[in-house]
Amino acid sequence: MAIYSVGRRRVILALLLTSALLLTLDLRGNPFIDRGRDAVSRVMDPVESAVAVVTNPLERAWNGIVNFDEVERENQALQDQLDRLIGTQAAAEAAVLQAQEILALNNLPALSGIDTELAQVIGGAANNIDQVIEINKGRSSGISVGMPVVNQAGLIGKVTSVTDTTARVMLVTDTNYAVGVTVTAAADAEAATAGESAGESDGDGTVITSPSGLTPEEIEEQAEAATSTSTTTTTTVAGGTEAPTGPPTPETTLPGGSDPVIPNFVDPVTGEPLTQEQVLLIAEGEALAATEAAAAAAAAELAATGTTTTTVPVVVRKEYGALEGRGRRLLPQIRFVEDNPSLAELTIGDLVETAGGSTSLAPPGIPVGRVANRADRPGSGGPLLDVELNADLTRLNYVRVVLYKPLSEVGES
Amino acid sequence: MLAAFIQGPLVRIIPVGLVLLALQRTLLVDFKVAGVVIELLMATAAAAGVAGGSERGAIMGFTLGLMFDLVEGTPLGSTAIALTIAGTVAGLLALVAADPQWWLGALFVALGTAAGVLMVPVVRLFIGENHPFSSDLVVVVIVTAAAAALMSPALIPLCRWCLRVKQVEWKQPLPDTPL
Repeated sequence: MAIYSVGRRRVILALLLTSALLLTLDLRGNPFIDRGRDAVSRVMDPVESAVAVVTNPLERAWNGIVNFDEVERENQALQDQLDRLIGTQAAAEAAVLQAQEILALNNLPALSGIDTELAQVIGGAANNIDQVIEINKGRSSGISVGMPVVNQAGLIGKVTSVTDTTARVMLVTDTNYAVGVTVTAAADAEAATAGESAGESDGDGTVITSPSGLTPEEIEEQAEAATSTSTTTTTTVAGGTEAPTGPPTPETTLPGGSDPVIPNFVDPVTGEPLTQEQVLLIAEGEALAATEAAAAAAAAELAATGTTTTTVPVVVRKEYGALEGRGRRLLPQIRFVEDNPSLAELTIGDLVETAGGSTSLAPPGIPVGRVANRADRPGSGGPLLDVELNADLTRLNYVRVVLYKPLSEVGES
Repeated sequence: MLAAFIQGPLVRIIPVGLVLLALQRTLLVDFKVAGVVIELLMATAAAAGVAGGSERGAIMGFTLGLMFDLVEGTPLGSTAIALTIAGTVAGLLALVAADPQWWLGALFVALGTAAGVLMVPVVRLFIGENHPFSSDLVVVVIVTAAAAALMSPALIPLCRWCLRVKQVEWKQPLPDTPL
């Protein structure tokens, strides 16, 4: 058996130092190492394919034994979920169309306008530290390092290395992953509290209030007065879609200007394209008309029953933070969030989406998950928020690579 | 030089390493025990230490670690250090017995593997990664060490072949044998 000696110790030391040297070279970025990786990957491909062919039956048998009950339960749960989703699909599609129109008006990038590349997951992390997957699309499909990867549920991670035919994706749970996010909170807590002091809340934002100091007639008069001053118009959207209109109101003369023209919106009187400013004025007028209509309805109800049923407007507030992965089995966490209770109280269940921005690798609006836990930090630091991801990262099969480049990099390519 | 290469251990370690690496990346990624990926390469490095001593264990660990880093995209050398440590520790432990029983060999392989698995986050910490110590590190160490012990009866002979180590032929002298 082996005998320990000084010579052997030198060999071990030399190997450790060589490792450290290679590590330093690799971390500083070395083209030779990158080429080496490509070459070894090419050598490994056929070996891996051959081994996969041999081990696939074993793998399937193992999965069949271990996962059968779970898969059956999951299948039933998914069927229930599917039934529910079909019911809400139509409403969701309408909402998406509306959102696209609004985003087009404001020239904001939206996920719906960015090409994606469907890919299949062909491998996972081969150790217990990294949270990565490998997909079967690479450089030849237009994928490059940094692009976000999503599935139907939301954000999964980002591409960290690419070969011609494969790419590696760092998952959101990896300790090296970070992305800017917004936490969307409904700031109706104060309003609801105020409503509860005067009446009752049914829990879904509708507050039944007792009569205020005003008489019903006075309220009705105020509502009528407000309606008579509304200004709106009808806008015809190219393609046959008509924008929503308020109650019948006088025509408004739209101010001219040198704003960029939005081609999909035309003036119904002159038939000429509208500018961005004109369209925004229309939108404001429509919003005002809708508010007035609601006020008139409330006044009518008050006159009839003596009580009003008021839907508390849910004001959406956004807080910005950085989502960081913390390894497997730990939920990703949002840090450096400035929590300002006067704007929004970040609570469990709040939605988390990517924030976007000119340098962000992910476009805005990709759903990430919901706040699962909140821990307050002493001092000026905002709270720490644990985020329950929408996507189940343990069961990834097909994913989409969003072919997105941040605005700061668009000119460089 | 070519002759030295052919007669040396690398000519066997590399092809065996490719197959083991392929197994690690295909089969063992799905064969998780308690959510832990069994680390075949780490166990092989430790088994090489038991079969051929700390020096050969380190060489085997270094080679397999470099292959792993090149294929997996992890920082080159990070896994190589951990596997070198695994082979060295198992080799040093094997010094306590000239020809260890199978169970003792399994124990050394398990301990070497545990040392290597613990080294991975330590190396990652040194290269500046955030939170490399996962919350279930203890579970990972126990599961990988146990799996390595179970695999050791197959891995030790394989490593002997790779490293061209002949099994010890000496026998313990009888008590009444004159020295």
